[in-house]
Amino acid sequence: MKRLTAVAALLSLAAVAACSGGGTNGNSTGGGGGVYTTVDINKPSLDVNAPINPWNPKGNAFWGYNAMRIAWAKNTLTDPNQFYPGIAASWDIAPDNSSITLHLQPGNKWSDGKPVTAEDVKFSVALAYTQGSTAFAVDPGAAGAASDVEVVDDKTIKITQDMKNPSVTFVRGVMDAFVVPQHVWQSVVPADFWDTLKAARGDGPEAEAARGQIKALSEKVLAFAPAQDVSAGPFVLKRMNPGEALLVKNKNFYNAANVAPDQLKLLNTTGNEQIWNYLTSGKLDNAPFTAVPADVMTRIKATPGNQVIKGYSPVAVSLAFNQAKKPYDNVHVRRGLAYLINREEVTQIASPEGGTAAVTTSGIHQKAAREWLGAELDALEPYKLDPTTADKEFAEAGLQKKDGKWTLADGKPWKVTIHIPAPFSDWVSAAKAITSQLTTAGVDAEVVTTADYPLYLSELAEGKYDLGFWLIALGPAPYNIFQRLYGTSNGWNILGGKVKHSAAGKDGNWMGGPETIDVEGVGAVNPGELTAQLNSVSGDEQKAVIAKLAKAANQDLPVIQLWDYVNTQFVNTNRFTGFPEDESDLLRQPSGVWIQLGMIKKKQ
Amino acid sequence: MAVLLRRLAGHVARGFVMILVVTTISFLIIRSVPGDPLAARYQKLVEQGMAPDAAQRAVEALYGFTPKGGLWEQYLDYMGGLAHLDLGQSLSVPGAGVSTVLFSAAKWTVIPVLAGTLLSFLVGVVMGVYAAIKRTGVLGDLLAISGSLLHGVPQYVLALLLGAIFTTLVPILPAGGTADIMIDPGFTADYIGSLVQHATLPVVTYALAGYGGWILAMKSSVVTVLGDDFILAAELRGMKRSIVFRYLARNAILPLFTILALSLGLLFGGAIFIERIFNYPGLGLMLIDSINNRDYSLMGGAFLLITTAVVVANIAADLLYTVIDPRVRSGGEAA
Repeated sequence: MKRLTAVAALLSLAAVAACSGGGTNGNSTGGGGGVYTTVDINKPSLDVNAPINPWNPKGNAFWGYNAMRIAWAKNTLTDPNQFYPGIAASWDIAPDNSSITLHLQPGNKWSDGKPVTAEDVKFSVALAYTQGSTAFAVDPGAAGAASDVEVVDDKTIKITQDMKNPSVTFVRGVMDAFVVPQHVWQSVVPADFWDTLKAARGDGPEAEAARGQIKALSEKVLAFAPAQDVSAGPFVLKRMNPGEALLVKNKNFYNAANVAPDQLKLLNTTGNEQIWNYLTSGKLDNAPFTAVPADVMTRIKATPGNQVIKGYSPVAVSLAFNQAKKPYDNVHVRRGLAYLINREEVTQIASPEGGTAAVTTSGIHQKAAREWLGAELDALEPYKLDPTTADKEFAEAGLQKKDGKWTLADGKPWKVTIHIPAPFSDWVSAAKAITSQLTTAGVDAEVVTTADYPLYLSELAEGKYDLGFWLIALGPAPYNIFQRLYGTSNGWNILGGKVKHSAAGKDGNWMGGPETIDVEGVGAVNPGELTAQLNSVSGDEQKAVIAKLAKAANQDLPVIQLWDYVNTQFVNTNRFTGFPEDESDLLRQPSGVWIQLGMIKKKQ
Repeated sequence: MAVLLRRLAGHVARGFVMILVVTTISFLIIRSVPGDPLAARYQKLVEQGMAPDAAQRAVEALYGFTPKGGLWEQYLDYMGGLAHLDLGQSLSVPGAGVSTVLFSAAKWTVIPVLAGTLLSFLVGVVMGVYAAIKRTGVLGDLLAISGSLLHGVPQYVLALLLGAIFTTLVPILPAGGTADIMIDPGFTADYIGSLVQHATLPVVTYALAGYGGWILAMKSSVVTVLGDDFILAAELRGMKRSIVFRYLARNAILPLFTILALSLGLLFGGAIFIERIFNYPGLGLMLIDSINNRDYSLMGGAFLLITTAVVVANIAADLLYTVIDPRVRSGGEAA
């Protein structure tokens, strides 16, 4: 009887506790500004063991919330050098792009009350050198690297580019730097760091040793764990558990008066289905880009307050060829396959809400392509569904058709095998749709899934696949866009500022394309060298190079561009308003940036 | 007592060798897992908008956390570290020790799985006895059917079903997490309530998933014991039902103790599906994450923890069996 009583008491306690826990949800909203709930797109999976460190891959420094960059890139269609203010309120860029002078937010303080100064920025630049970045690279000859960092006054700092090998992305490289408080991180960087850096920029064994010393600091920086969060962002991390992180408003933030939420909740997610559940139950004020099937989308839209916002996402997905393997070394085979793929149907099946069928293969997202190429985009071959032309292309390649099925030139069976990482459900659906279309057209085809993304990338790089899916068009910087087609994966590497081509199967070259391409109306081009030029040229010259590369990609088809992603986000207007409109460039930044700019308002 | 100590020493020695062998095999398997974690990290950074050269340098900074040298060298390093109880550094969370990450995740697995296992054991055993005694009645049949049904339904189906009911259709329980972050952690009714509330669905799923096996095993065991002569003799002597019941239960439950002990050893393996579905971040999710990130040290640490737990549970089961069942004692002590 005693045991029974004890069990009953325990159950009662659990029930009471459960009820009280439930009640607390409703009463714990904190201050008048309310609680803003979201998922951090950059770190959806929280880790309580990770340090509050923006360079740590799992660090609990969340971009835009409690981790601040010098400025926030707009990622416009064509210009990588447009920004929203961050630690810097404004900036002056030299006309020849040789330097940038940053004017810090006046009156901005760290959450512990100390002022944010130019010395903090300079110190953070030192940390950035240990991690490597475009502007803060130690490697000799690196394009777009800074040569000098000068503190002008407490709130002004000037960063000068090494004009021996300049890059149009220098400014972007500077602005992307995180800024952390020097008084917290002081112990990580030795006092003679800038002398060591100066030595590292030279030649010879001493310079090599100095570079080694700086690189050796990288582990220390990555692992550094401040005892508590000291933030210059709109929020400060208060506490975490494995499921959620709670951040509270930083009263010292320069724009604190316009930061509406008093508290911010970041939810841990390990898969899209959890985000769908949170959205369906109306818990999230904002969910970043998430692939959503049509039926789930209907349920999400039916939840009161939920709205969908769409904008530009500088990413496209393609079907990439390993040209080291036959018959994909033959451009007619690649073109023939392009004419057999119905991209509209594939996109409708794989990514109806998050993608738009590619208008053609140019290597660029169609929205940016229109800006870069203008009418020239229409002159590119669209590769619309056309089985007759596909047959001609296959015949041109010497393939044979027997009993309605295409075989290799020597009469041996031909099977198109597309590899896909299994966890990417939209890619799997797309690959299945493509194989179905090809099979209908007489091309034997199959989909093979790989267990996970690291394995997929590893086997892809080893040249094990004939065809695989590959993200391209990662803009807005033109070099970044074309590097996906004519970079390391296709044999071109930039070493010490010089372009070097490696043969198929070496140095990460799994695409195995030719080193030069004869482009109609242009002549012979080396696409890797052209791509590297995009680092330094600007204006009309840049447009001319892009046009050549787009033509080369369109004619030679190292990949077939399938669909261009659409940045589909979700917001709930029950608690907050002021979210970005459709097509806003802010959709390419986390909602912490919307909040810090003062856009988000509590619903009255 | 000396016999027990001798037996214990033998078990510990054998257990140690077993852990050593399994650790070596795990090490070899883990190191041969294909896939490049740094390439995946590079792709992620590029997809986030980082310039390719910057992404390459950022990845190189991580290189310091990857194991160095040949396989044999790595093995010696690893075993040398283990000798000093150092499980190494995590690659996916640079700067965090493997043991810190493991124990941080372990508490969110062990407590709910332990609660679920013990709950299912207690209910399953009691219902199993009842189902055996009443095996010719409707209630006995219903209990047996409930056991078969729940035993046959996969854990993840149960989890999805309970999740759909209690987080969407009748949303009275949280869909994920371990506790409401808005409540200050501490030994307060609010915080404990929140912990209980968040653990309810995982615990109930573990309990329901285990219940079927216990009830069926117990019923079968009781039915066997019911036919034994000593039960008949007890009944013929006119012993009280409660005493007969005690004889019955004590003998029937013996095989289940071994299974229970082994189940407790497997606690550390986590329940990947349940933790994933309820977004309950324990060892199962951590193990998946470490595999996805090819975090060799963390994977090795997790396998070592699971192996050690199973070996210890085996030893405990064997010793417990010696204590509770006089027939297996050696040296004529049972006589």
